[in-house]
Amino acid sequence: MISRARVLLGFLAVAVVLFFVPGIQETLELPRFYVIFLFTSFFWVAQASSWNVLTGFSGYFSFGQGAWYGIGVYTVAILTGKHGWSFMTALPMAGLAALLGGLAVGFVAFRVRRLSGEIFALTTLAIAFVLASLARITTAIDGGTGIFMTGTPIPEWLGEYNTAMYRMMLVAMLLTVFTAYLVHDSRLGWGLFSIRDDEPVAGGLGVPVFRYKMTALGINAFFAGLVGGVWALQLGFVTIDDVFNIRVPLFVILMSVLGGLTHWMGPVVGAVIIYTFSDRLNSAGLTDVNQMIVGTLLVVLALAVREGIYIRMRERWITTLVTFGVAMAVSSIFDLAGSLVTDFAFALLATILMMMVPDSVWRRIRRRGGSEPPEASPKMDQLAGAES
Amino acid sequence: MDLLAQGIVTGVLIGGLYALMSLGVSLSWGALKIINLAHFSFILLSAYLVYQLTITFGLDPLLMTLAVVPLFFIFGVLMQMFFHWAKVDEFKSLIVTFGIFIILQSLTQTFWSADFRRIGSELNRYEGNSLFIGDIALPIPSLLAFIAALGIAVTMSFVLSRTYFGKAVRAVAQDAEMARAYGVDPNRVAVLLSGLSGAFSAMAGVFIALGQAIYPGLAVSWFGVVFSVVILGGLGNTVGALTAGVIVGVAAGAAAVIWGPLAAPLVTFIILIAALLFRPQGLLTSRSVA
Repeated sequence: MISRARVLLGFLAVAVVLFFVPGIQETLELPRFYVIFLFTSFFWVAQASSWNVLTGFSGYFSFGQGAWYGIGVYTVAILTGKHGWSFMTALPMAGLAALLGGLAVGFVAFRVRRLSGEIFALTTLAIAFVLASLARITTAIDGGTGIFMTGTPIPEWLGEYNTAMYRMMLVAMLLTVFTAYLVHDSRLGWGLFSIRDDEPVAGGLGVPVFRYKMTALGINAFFAGLVGGVWALQLGFVTIDDVFNIRVPLFVILMSVLGGLTHWMGPVVGAVIIYTFSDRLNSAGLTDVNQMIVGTLLVVLALAVREGIYIRMRERWITTLVTFGVAMAVSSIFDLAGSLVTDFAFALLATILMMMVPDSVWRRIRRRGGSEPPEASPKMDQLAGAES
Repeated sequence: MDLLAQGIVTGVLIGGLYALMSLGVSLSWGALKIINLAHFSFILLSAYLVYQLTITFGLDPLLMTLAVVPLFFIFGVLMQMFFHWAKVDEFKSLIVTFGIFIILQSLTQTFWSADFRRIGSELNRYEGNSLFIGDIALPIPSLLAFIAALGIAVTMSFVLSRTYFGKAVRAVAQDAEMARAYGVDPNRVAVLLSGLSGAFSAMAGVFIALGQAIYPGLAVSWFGVVFSVVILGGLGNTVGALTAGVIVGVAAGAAAVIWGPLAAPLVTFIILIAALLFRPQGLLTSRSVA
């Protein structure tokens, strides 16, 4: 079992390294694109992690990510663009507004006794569309004209524009992932897992079902809104169709299903993988095919990779590290791709292919090689038990 | 006052279309425990096919029913066979049908682009024409959709309550394992029901192509309406779906007259919330399958 201290140290190390990336990029004169690439992947990591706190841990399937994110974007856009608030005061409001929206939906949907999971899913599916039409008819929100964001100043102590955006997104992302980790390893987390496995039994054994579900939904909505608020700054021009569409919920579901819903690291890994591929496909000019590939992936992954790729990476961690390292080295040394991000995408692809080898085949290879299977940690057993 | 009466009549007729769109979702959710998000792209795809066939062959768009209904029946059957083969459960059905929805959406967008498409008036003699009762106009496309919905809802209700197949469906909905023990093959029932639900989506697509301009974004806009109708009507309850469709249609129609057309989705959503809070089991539950 990984101790809490080690996880904290890991977080700190990642935070420090990532914090200095913009400086490194400038001194080494690498393309600025790398920083923007990281910025966008942080956005997706944070969105996927916050979604997973509700859906992965409690089993309540939510399509509402687009709505919470949209509330965040619009709160910042309205407060700074129309009422002249400073960005730093508007940002917490984005989180709070999304939190309120989420709790309102949860209050209605979680009180239904029969089919409450399905009804929650469908209500969250409809909510983004309803918010869009509300924004369209209310001139105080949007009124169908869109809002310009270019005039919004960002605090000067954060550095120049790109660096400041990068660091804000980094902080928001780390906060979200860290919260997901805290929930995962807490009483709340265990309560949510028991709700996912059998809600009536959990309720009967004294888990405060309604309160825990509302808390998880609140955390999800708050961080989705907060991250959406940071994202709003670089949108330039905020429109209803760009904000309240199906893209955010779709990608978030895909990322988490790929990475694995049971562990807080699953969505992080899934988000990095999916965003890297999607970015490479787009830059290769395959935007049209992109959505089709995404949809196909979703169907295949939901049926094939039951426990998510992160759990497999942990079980086969030596293979993961070796494959990734070798593929990355080969691709960048022989300069197959020309861009570090493409090398990274190749390395990820190689790793995923190694992880796709089914368990039965895997065991046979290991046995022939004569090495002992690694001893399962208690945490892994708990996870495997909680899966069903 | 005439305007309001007209709004209500239009709402009733539109309600028929809503019910037609909801029947398949209601049946597969109620009896098969599958929330079929792909249904929405089936409807849209059927509408586009009707549009394409009509302008290619220059025939009456209503004739295309003969082509799309069997085709989508087969789609429904194939989808259910895939679900059975892949052992899709309730939770996964949401993810998998969402994936299928996305695939079909982007296919539609690739083939027909994001532009508005409309069957020209030289081929479509239904759109724009109305039947008049006094001063109140009954637009022909909505009227036809309402008649179709009424026919299907009543027939399905009869089939479910009176025939052997209907008994088998209700048995599977209650307990698939016990139904199997009594000689019902749940898989065959599911395949047939999924095919029917596909056929209903094709019907809805025909009337949508007949009555309005179509574009890929339409499918998403149906989510709220259809789920309000399904939940309000009660899962698997076809007559309930028709009643709920009319209620939602009238409320949205009245709202459109009073506050303008953009208010309609809000009213639909308020009805959904009210239904969830006060009657989550549906309006006419005694006749429902599940």
